[in-house]
Amino acid sequence: MNNLLKVKDLRTYFYTDDGVVKAVDGVEFQVKFGETIGIVGESGCGKSITAMSLIRLIQSPPGKIVSGNIIFDGEDLTQLSDEEIRSIRGNDISMIFQEPMTSLNPVFTSGYQIEEILELHQKLDEDQARKRAIEMIKLIGIPNAERIVDEYPHQLSGGMRQRVMIAMALACQPKMLIADEPTTALDVTIQAQILELMNELKNKMNTSIMLITHDLGVIAEMADHVIVMYSGKVVEDAPIIELFENPRHPYTIGLMASMPSLAKEGQRLETIPGVVPNPLYLPKGCYFHPRCKFATDECKKLQPELREIAPGHKSACFRAEEVTR
Amino acid sequence: MSEVILEINNLKKYFPITKGLMKKEVGEVKAVDGVSLFIKEGETLGIVGESGCGKSTLGRTLLRLYEPTEGDVIFRGVDVLNASTDEMKKLRREMQIVFQDPYSSLNPRMTISRIVGESLIEHGLFKKGKGLEDYVVEVMEKCGLARYHMNRYPHEFSGGQRQRVGVARALALNPSFIVADEPVSALDVSIQSQIINLFNDLQRDLNISFMFISHDLSVVRYISHRVGVMYLGSIVELAEKNALFDNPQHPYTQALLTAIPEPDPRNKRERIILEGDIPSPSNPPSGCKFHTRCRYAQDICSERVPEFRDLGGEHFVACHFAK
Repeated sequence: MNNLLKVKDLRTYFYTDDGVVKAVDGVEFQVKFGETIGIVGESGCGKSITAMSLIRLIQSPPGKIVSGNIIFDGEDLTQLSDEEIRSIRGNDISMIFQEPMTSLNPVFTSGYQIEEILELHQKLDEDQARKRAIEMIKLIGIPNAERIVDEYPHQLSGGMRQRVMIAMALACQPKMLIADEPTTALDVTIQAQILELMNELKNKMNTSIMLITHDLGVIAEMADHVIVMYSGKVVEDAPIIELFENPRHPYTIGLMASMPSLAKEGQRLETIPGVVPNPLYLPKGCYFHPRCKFATDECKKLQPELREIAPGHKSACFRAEEVTR
Repeated sequence: MSEVILEINNLKKYFPITKGLMKKEVGEVKAVDGVSLFIKEGETLGIVGESGCGKSTLGRTLLRLYEPTEGDVIFRGVDVLNASTDEMKKLRREMQIVFQDPYSSLNPRMTISRIVGESLIEHGLFKKGKGLEDYVVEVMEKCGLARYHMNRYPHEFSGGQRQRVGVARALALNPSFIVADEPVSALDVSIQSQIINLFNDLQRDLNISFMFISHDLSVVRYISHRVGVMYLGSIVELAEKNALFDNPQHPYTQALLTAIPEPDPRNKRERIILEGDIPSPSNPPSGCKFHTRCRYAQDICSERVPEFRDLGGEHFVACHFAK
């Protein structure tokens, strides 16, 4: 399999009055054709900013992509003009967001919002666009699509809205779909419907999916490959089974140990002590060392590089070979 | 076996839907629709369900934060729903609540020591001064906060620490029963586990009973002794947690359990995907409320409300076909 996307040394900084926030700081990863890549991390780790940077949705100022390459299908997205990136957004790469209510426009019907994209990117006329919009709504498993096209977002339930978002995102058959916490606002039974739908569509259209979530359960069900982020950096990068069975970064290990579903009956939950550091005052050395039970003097002084510790498995820890669950 | 401290019988809470200037009543939302259960001393009862199933309303109604429409709540032999204002004030010392959102449930203009100490003064247990301060610090320390946090304001704290403040506030009056309404849902995984451990420690040390309301089944399984599953205002299944999770009897519980994404990439099990959305609680389906989404539904399900019955060993189910 070839790479559809290759991100190298991506740095997105925010210049605030209080100082520079290095939200994404030297991130690198690859996405293959037809693969689902999961990005995991807690709030503020830079996972959403990474995704937004890919399609250049970073508000500037205060944000700026200060360095890096984003090679998508042979083209470096960082070098494109605003005009050119606009033709890629929604067409080759599209995105669904966490909160479907705030990302749909409340004054237009759901059908109109799908048609608009088709008319813009695929140059369809109104009739063709409407037909295609109805097809898309059928495809995502909403019954009586003919009625739903004329309904406004407030008339739909949360699960329906997220389906409309997916229909919109997939309308142009993009090569890559970025899904930022697509099911976090939904109930578990609705989440199950949406995840199943995404998998079905991925297989039908061979779309690569970049799935951003804090839920390791969702990752385990969906992803082929996982990236774990902490304070703007990738700390671990591994194929799904390898990551779950053989995690090699103390943060990943801590995350898994703190999940109640993986804990043994009656056993106390492991916790990661402390909190995520303030991005304005990051600790010296490895950003995770104040919370890490494996930390040594080296970790307090030097920043570990992300390095390959086994074929296809990378970890940014000096002691990656020793740490285990 | 430990003593039952709280008993709820056929509790109902209907919210009126009003329309127009005269607030004419045009219908009602049956948020809690006939719930019966009990909680024993030192026990955690988990309540799970999806949004809008009435689990939070249940927690608030039994504390009389909402006035119930019908039903009985008996706490240590006292009839809560008919208690006078004075009696209610005494009861409130025994029954406390921790809210979901640690950002909006703490007064931003009050210091932590005032938030934790306010109820102590209100109930006349302490007067302002050194004694109060020492006691507040003691409670804060039980919840993993330190003395130097006392004079800070909520905005200076992270989400996890705020939730500790919320727990400390509830704990200050030394209650024997706490309703915890989604107390860890707003927190990140690594912080969530710290708060879950805190709840377990408090229960072990102080023998507090909890009603732990959550939509997260894995958290509920970890923390509870018994678990009740709610759907559209009613409890459809209630049992000892392992009986419920290993041997669910109600079709809704079965679907709910297979819908949780398991953090095990090798375990690709068969999912029961429910069709459609939860019906509106203002106009719930007739008979069994779940029949519109149930794969086993028969004629009887839309006609008769299934009885909430004991299958043996305190495993209660409201389904015509459960055996």
